[in-house]
Amino acid sequence: MTDEIVFEKIRGIHNVLREEFYSSGHRTCEGCEPAMVMRMFSKAAGPRTIALGTTGCMYVANTAYMTTPWVIPWMHAQLGAGGSSALGTSAGLRALMKKGKIPKEKINTIAFCGDLGGADMGLAAISSALQTDYDLLIILYDNESAANTDIQATGMTTWGAQTTFTPTGSVKRIMQNRWKKNVAPMLAAGHPNVKYIATAIASYPPLDLLNKVRKALSVGGPTFIHTLAPCPKGWDYHPRYSDKLGELAARTGIFPVYEIENGVARLTYKPPTPRVPVREYLEMQGRFAHFKDEDFQYVQSHVDAMWEDWELPGIVPIKDGRIKS
Amino acid sequence: MRMKNSEGKKGGNVLNMERKIVKLTSVSSVFREAASTEVDIKNIEVNYRGVFQKTLARRICKPIVYAAKEEGKTGFGYGRYSDAPERDGVPCKYFAVVADLTEEDLEAEAGGKVEPNDVDVSIVVDDTMTKGVEPWAYSGIRPISEKVKTGGTLLVVSERNPLELLKNVEKKKFPYKIAVVPGMHSFSGLWVYKDDLTDVRVLGALARVDSDIVSLQSIKKVVGEQQGEERVRAVEDGYNSVVIKSIAPGEGIVWPYKLPELPKWHEFQEGIVVKPVKRGGRNEDYKRFTTRTMRPVIRFDKCIKCDRCWYTCPDECFDPTPEGLFDVNYNYCVGCGRCAEVCPVPNTIVMIDELKFDTNESPYQKFKESKDAYTNWAEEKKGKTRVNYPFVTGTGLSVEEAKTKSEEKR
Amino acid sequence: MTLVEKKLVQKQREDLLTGCEAVAHAVMLADVDVIAAYPIRPYTEVMDAVSKLIADGKFEAEYIIAEGEHSQFEIVKHASAVGARVFAGSSGTGWMYAMEALAVTASDRLPVVALVGNRALDDPGAFGVEHNDALAVRDLGWLLVWAATAQEALDTTLLLYRIAEDPQVMFPAALAMDGGFLTHSQHMVRIPSKELVNKFLPPYSLGDRRLHPDNPISIAPQANEDWVIEIRKQNAEATKQVPAVVNKAYKEFEEVFNRDLGNPWLEEYMMEDADVTILGMGTLAITAKAAVKRLRKRGLKVGVVRPKWFRPFPTELLKKILSPVGAVAVVDRDFAYGSPFYSGVLYSEIRSTLYGSRNRPTITNFIAGLGGREISIAEVIKMIEATYKAKEEGVDDYVQWVGVRE
Repeated sequence: MTDEIVFEKIRGIHNVLREEFYSSGHRTCEGCEPAMVMRMFSKAAGPRTIALGTTGCMYVANTAYMTTPWVIPWMHAQLGAGGSSALGTSAGLRALMKKGKIPKEKINTIAFCGDLGGADMGLAAISSALQTDYDLLIILYDNESAANTDIQATGMTTWGAQTTFTPTGSVKRIMQNRWKKNVAPMLAAGHPNVKYIATAIASYPPLDLLNKVRKALSVGGPTFIHTLAPCPKGWDYHPRYSDKLGELAARTGIFPVYEIENGVARLTYKPPTPRVPVREYLEMQGRFAHFKDEDFQYVQSHVDAMWEDWELPGIVPIKDGRIKS
Repeated sequence: MRMKNSEGKKGGNVLNMERKIVKLTSVSSVFREAASTEVDIKNIEVNYRGVFQKTLARRICKPIVYAAKEEGKTGFGYGRYSDAPERDGVPCKYFAVVADLTEEDLEAEAGGKVEPNDVDVSIVVDDTMTKGVEPWAYSGIRPISEKVKTGGTLLVVSERNPLELLKNVEKKKFPYKIAVVPGMHSFSGLWVYKDDLTDVRVLGALARVDSDIVSLQSIKKVVGEQQGEERVRAVEDGYNSVVIKSIAPGEGIVWPYKLPELPKWHEFQEGIVVKPVKRGGRNEDYKRFTTRTMRPVIRFDKCIKCDRCWYTCPDECFDPTPEGLFDVNYNYCVGCGRCAEVCPVPNTIVMIDELKFDTNESPYQKFKESKDAYTNWAEEKKGKTRVNYPFVTGTGLSVEEAKTKSEEKR
Repeated sequence: MTLVEKKLVQKQREDLLTGCEAVAHAVMLADVDVIAAYPIRPYTEVMDAVSKLIADGKFEAEYIIAEGEHSQFEIVKHASAVGARVFAGSSGTGWMYAMEALAVTASDRLPVVALVGNRALDDPGAFGVEHNDALAVRDLGWLLVWAATAQEALDTTLLLYRIAEDPQVMFPAALAMDGGFLTHSQHMVRIPSKELVNKFLPPYSLGDRRLHPDNPISIAPQANEDWVIEIRKQNAEATKQVPAVVNKAYKEFEEVFNRDLGNPWLEEYMMEDADVTILGMGTLAITAKAAVKRLRKRGLKVGVVRPKWFRPFPTELLKKILSPVGAVAVVDRDFAYGSPFYSGVLYSEIRSTLYGSRNRPTITNFIAGLGGREISIAEVIKMIEATYKAKEEGVDDYVQWVGVRE
């Protein structure tokens, strides 16, 4: 087994490593896409990895005492501690290797967080980790809710969606009126030393997340990947359609898929022209069952603005690249 | 300076108090008898598929409590706390408790419990759950009728009859009943409730099965007042259509699954540390198959080895074979259907009613033994037995799984 | 002791150090691997001193500036889990910000060593000493010790690494130190040599609980009602192992460093035939010595007991020492609103300790010195006088707030 992850893009499903480092036997929903994220990142990283799992679905559902589905070493971290647990792990390993207390080798440190741990509560610690020079990867699996507490709205929830905090009622149809934060560009703009920040959708395009994890682990220093992970429970659709929803998220452009590597932004998936109407994506999900035409149009207008008005389409909401004096 | 204690009066010398100790030597039988007192309380459980039937289970239990109130009794409802957060398909339980006691007495006798010690009626709203339920890791695969007491009833919503269901049910040492109210598993999502009247039909059936819990009259009254008169007919339909079969002691199967013994506090590692899964292995202490309602059946002969089924499975159920096919580990498959959805060859992976299968044995092994026998077996399993609602917003077609042989080319 | 060892003992140098600096020296001598820093008065100076020691090459460690106390303690918790010896610390409201991480560190059984520079809890924001911050972890499994001198702070830090990392223990440990009076005042401190410290302190080893690809365990999965009480019981029984390790560690320290530390658990002063005892933790007990000395000169049989260890609580020892006494004045540099006698925390613990005594002494409580208010010798004398009176009048629940303008 090679120590270093020398990045080589995997082309074709047939070339994907067969071995699982996150195995069967986790109490996740039928069709759970965040579980795919776990499976893919651990596959990409291999056995010389330590995973830190912050509180969320991928903690409570995956690891139920006295069992575990993890083949690689894994430890629970507190909800807002994605950045700090990765940092502490990496620093501990570096100190021990420097002092000769353990053998020197490349050990991947990967912390994963849900919406709250990756975009709300956990932002401070992630920012701090991204300022350092430790090798670590933080993955935000975005199922657009606080799913583990039975689906509440977070900073990642799509505008208008129903959650238990934002139910549709007889007087107020839309209770969720926040637009999703752009986490990846916020972190990229704020931490110029970071060599790799990306967005991905676990199932689409196929192999994209896998390759992005491998790239992140090979560039050195702190890195971050925000991956959209459709959730059959929270979004309310038949579990068999998780792949389809991921694909639609990409093809409608509602979730842009790109990477920022050493300051160069690159779309790794270009939505078709014209983009698929967001209505097709939203109508598949029961959490938008209360939507009227005007709601679909509103979301569409936002998505259109992202792709048509922004200087870096889908990435940074600056409408004109020149700094005005 | 005058001393003031915190109560504003002088304290006394507390050591003078005489202590009266009750002699315990001859009264231990008093404690024993008190501990094993039986109280007449009716417990009802609803076994349901997490998330898909969350609303349904509560819609069954709430009217039971209201109906009890109608009859001058008291009642309350609760869920099994550690089921939450519910996961799509993972077996859950909800409970209703009814008794002819004061609220205070009922709460004292039956409150603060994780689940009742036993139940008078165990309702099952997805009949595939009769094959066993494993609600959590390290809990083992448990019989569906585990909590049913002597003379109690297992009340199942099913298209099958009680004797067919008995094939999966653990034999008991005492008599009880299996009742069936005809129907399909009724699934919904969190935000859109698919109301097909299953809830009220079950309530009607419940009144027939054990009128000491609720009478038909009171259920009809509660449903009529709270939900509308048009639903009362469905209550009556449930009452009239339920089929009740007495089950004698010893009828049923020997439970094939070993339940884990929970270790003592000093018998397991400190620091909340758990041994990992070995490379190439799976989590041995949590099989997943009791989550599924349907399972994928693969036509290996038609497989083009695109790898997509293996790739898309969130439960890592596909094992690569030497010739590039993929075996399914049915112990861990949760029946989500993603493999069936991504398979590019029509009718090659098809989701089929779980109750049509008796074992979790390897399909690939069967295929290796005899390609033809396996293929015939796979074909014979197909048929229109279950309905799925793909888009719970109500748009889109309801999918009929498992198209029959005549609809495809070999 | 061999000649070489004698020479090494003599090699111990002396320096004028604040309480914080003394702890920093101990951290250096213990060759800590990972330190997470975040500023809050009055503990910050320990991190200032540590960073300078690292910059000057006195020892090597990963020194991380966290962006908040919660992260600070998550960082060291996870570094500890992979086998690194760690150090962190905080004060007052900062310690509160870390609370989630603190609770989990104890239940994860990780030997994080932390300095708590005792400071009043917000609100109002106030920098002065109050013990409630450190006391907040008393039920969670943290070892908790109060130092009263800079020397004691240095010695105890080394001892805490030895004790916390002992395979029989494996709990995090907090060293509490009065903010201002101890964190910032400068005293002569003997600094032992690195060679002797290496002799005293074995390397940190988690054994099969170490998180590393060579030992791919899963640490702290989610548990349900089938497991929690057993897991808690494991920790409860483990805390019972701590006293034996403490006694052993202090003995080893005395042998290696050739110094007498006195009783590990508490300090007794003029207690031989005391009628009345004044009892409290931290620097106030040292002030009490002056009060007691003056009263002894005038024929009153009084003494001081200064508990050092608060968790585990030295119940039997205190019961043995205090039972023969006629009255105990407990001084709390903390508050416990709404507690059974509207008293302080230490009072309830002492009262509980003495419940089973055949001859229960009168116990009085004095809440004093909160938020950095001085406790004068005259005030201590007043407390002792009040205690005599309480005993005479048979008042058994006397609680007095000292020095409050009213």
